[in-house]
Amino acid sequence: MQPIISLQNVSKQYGDNTVLNNVDLEIFPGQIIGYIGPNGAGKSTTVKILTGVIQDYTGTVLLNGKDIREDILGLKQMIGYVPELAELYDLLTPNEYLHFVGALYHLPDAIIKERSTKILQSFGLFEHIDQRMDSFSKGMRQKVLLTAGILHNPSIVILDEPMSGLDANAVIVVKELMQVLKQEGKTIFYCSHMMDVVEKVSDRIVLIDKGSIIANDTIEVLREGSTHSLEKIFAQMTTSENLNETAGNIAQAMNDK
Amino acid sequence: MNKLLLFLFLLPKGLYRSLGADINHLKAILKVKLMLDDRRPLSMGRAPQAKKKPIRFMTALGVFMSMIIGFMYILPLMLGDTIMGLWLYATVFLLMFSFMLISDFSTVLFDTRDKTILLPRPINERTLLLSRLLHMFIYLFRIVFPMSLAGWIFMGATKGWLAAIWFPFLVLMLTIVALFLVNACYLLILRFAKPGKFKDIVNYFQIAFSIFFFACIYLLPRVIDSQDFQSLKHTDFEWAILTPTYWLAASFTWVEADKLSSATQWISILAVLGPAILVWLTIKYLSPSFSKGIANIDTVSVEAETPKVTIQTGKKSAAQLYLKLANWLNASALGKAGFSIAWLQTSRSRNFKMRVFPSFGFVPVYFFYLITMNQSNSMVETWEKLPETKTFVLLLYMSSFVVMNLLTMLVHSDQYKASWIYYSSPIARPGEVMLGAFKAVWVKYFLPMFAIVSLFVLYVWGPKTLIDIALALTNITVFALGILRVAYRKLPFSALELMKEKGNRFFKTMFIMLLPTSLGFGHYWTTITPWLWWMKIVFIILSSILLWLLWDSYKNTSWDEVKKMDLSA
Repeated sequence: MQPIISLQNVSKQYGDNTVLNNVDLEIFPGQIIGYIGPNGAGKSTTVKILTGVIQDYTGTVLLNGKDIREDILGLKQMIGYVPELAELYDLLTPNEYLHFVGALYHLPDAIIKERSTKILQSFGLFEHIDQRMDSFSKGMRQKVLLTAGILHNPSIVILDEPMSGLDANAVIVVKELMQVLKQEGKTIFYCSHMMDVVEKVSDRIVLIDKGSIIANDTIEVLREGSTHSLEKIFAQMTTSENLNETAGNIAQAMNDK
Repeated sequence: MNKLLLFLFLLPKGLYRSLGADINHLKAILKVKLMLDDRRPLSMGRAPQAKKKPIRFMTALGVFMSMIIGFMYILPLMLGDTIMGLWLYATVFLLMFSFMLISDFSTVLFDTRDKTILLPRPINERTLLLSRLLHMFIYLFRIVFPMSLAGWIFMGATKGWLAAIWFPFLVLMLTIVALFLVNACYLLILRFAKPGKFKDIVNYFQIAFSIFFFACIYLLPRVIDSQDFQSLKHTDFEWAILTPTYWLAASFTWVEADKLSSATQWISILAVLGPAILVWLTIKYLSPSFSKGIANIDTVSVEAETPKVTIQTGKKSAAQLYLKLANWLNASALGKAGFSIAWLQTSRSRNFKMRVFPSFGFVPVYFFYLITMNQSNSMVETWEKLPETKTFVLLLYMSSFVVMNLLTMLVHSDQYKASWIYYSSPIARPGEVMLGAFKAVWVKYFLPMFAIVSLFVLYVWGPKTLIDIALALTNITVFALGILRVAYRKLPFSALELMKEKGNRFFKTMFIMLLPTSLGFGHYWTTITPWLWWMKIVFIILSSILLWLLWDSYKNTSWDEVKKMDLSA
């Protein structure tokens, strides 16, 4: 099977700082990829390259076998993106914002109206569709952003910490949504620090650290026959510190003796 | 400055301690509050140049501005009739001070972050209360002292040391009356508006204040200079006796009794009684219901609001006007998106209103200022002679005052981070979005104002000015698109307004200054030389060609050009 996305030798530098270092990665359609790594490992940079926001990298990114540099708009049209800590124009109402975003994806008004109504209804946000978002809670904003991310029916969905601020029920909805989208043949690129969720929903787990991919496999293979949780595996692979000791040191700091 | 104020106001440590306050807490809280005041833009200096000043000088700038205002006030004190002068002084002082408090004080009073930051900490209630009171006093002191300084010195120098001793009493009483007015005003707003709307209304006050301030600076000296004004007497205004500022002015009879009637002396008792009653009213009735009101301002919960009309039933009519316009005026979906976002965002952003709306008020004020420059004529003469002048050219071009602010606020926003959406969307030419946004502000703000100005011009100067109106309209539009093309090739609301812009700023500024001036002068030249009327037609054609070129170039702005602009600014 042909990978839907393939990164070949991708590197990105900011000045002297190498953020991505010869990354090779293949993603196949209909999979949920759990993309994890410590802070500053290069996750966001990867995501920005995949969404076409950063274009000055070296190496090649292929979408369905074609270099994305040749058709950056085609790439953006295929991708739905829900960024982490996303800002939105909160003086608008969800209805107005979604019409604005829909227009940027060249969707006709009727389609935007139909889809946004249905999605917001499912999220339980429909009654707020004509209220300004400046009074919305974090979870409500996140639901609007999720809606905006999938409104144009993308074949690849990139979710960066999509659960942040959501209540427990909404988390279940989003997890279910990921499964349903996968069954429809969509590819989901899921970045998160919530190891338990990543462990459960992902078909493959890709671990990036200091700009290089250090693991790329199913959770079963990563466990190597042990019963370790992903959290533990993550810690083993990304830090040499003894984390229990670190916590002990912090607590010790308050005992002035 | 802050250190000095903090030191002075914390001198009576023993007193505070006996009131039950924790001095260390008090000092820490006040220090942070004063620091925050410094970093908050002032209502007076909210013009763009004030923003560029280093932040920590905000207080100093405020004090300086207050002193300048203070100088303006002393003009009426120079009147022959002292009571008349004092009455005017007190009235202007009171109005200005109240206006300033309404627009600025709310941010100090209603710092609702206190709720989350201070309340969970182990601070006792008395310290908290005292910190609020002291903060308020310091705040008032910082405005009132420099503002009254000029008047104080003037009175002392011209009326002797007794007047100098009496003056602080006047200022103190004025402060009390102002506090009452402000409280009452807030309360009225809270009673008649929803809590959520409170900030919007205060915003309009701020806008009105900046226009009022601008008008005072330009027009007051002119009015005071006129002959009619110099001979004013307080006895000409019988109703004046009903105003509290008159009672206060009358208390000057304590200093110079001999010149005045006994009736005026009796009135001066009210100078003490009036404010005393107002203080009592404020404490007893206004403040309590007021604090209740404040509590609601920021606690508007989303759930509490009843679900509004759904899409199916639709909020048609006015709300949908922008959608109709967006469809009429834009061929592409991207243009529509740009148009809608600019239309909606500018309707709701307080910052936008604060920066753009005052400039609409400046146009008539400045025009009035310019046509009355010739002092020898009276107002009536000036008006009658207006059609003989060529000032309509000036007036037409003056409407481009708003253009600079309008365009700056179109690309800049505090929420610039929300513009990530443009970068991840399949937008081939960002220029389409940008031009759509330009159309929105042009249709919504510039054209209505230009239409009003044009109607005025047609009314005064007659239909022969139609050709001038057409030429001015194309010229100003060329000017606006020129600015956008050269300085602001950015997506709508996508940039943070920087304190200083780098790069070829000098050339940009030169361009921005020179273009309208040369266009305007060209226009003026054809107007003062009658046989050159046909040149206007040539100019319209040339201007339209230029407009078409700029329009096209701006619409075709590519991603590379947007990114280049991001890097240079």
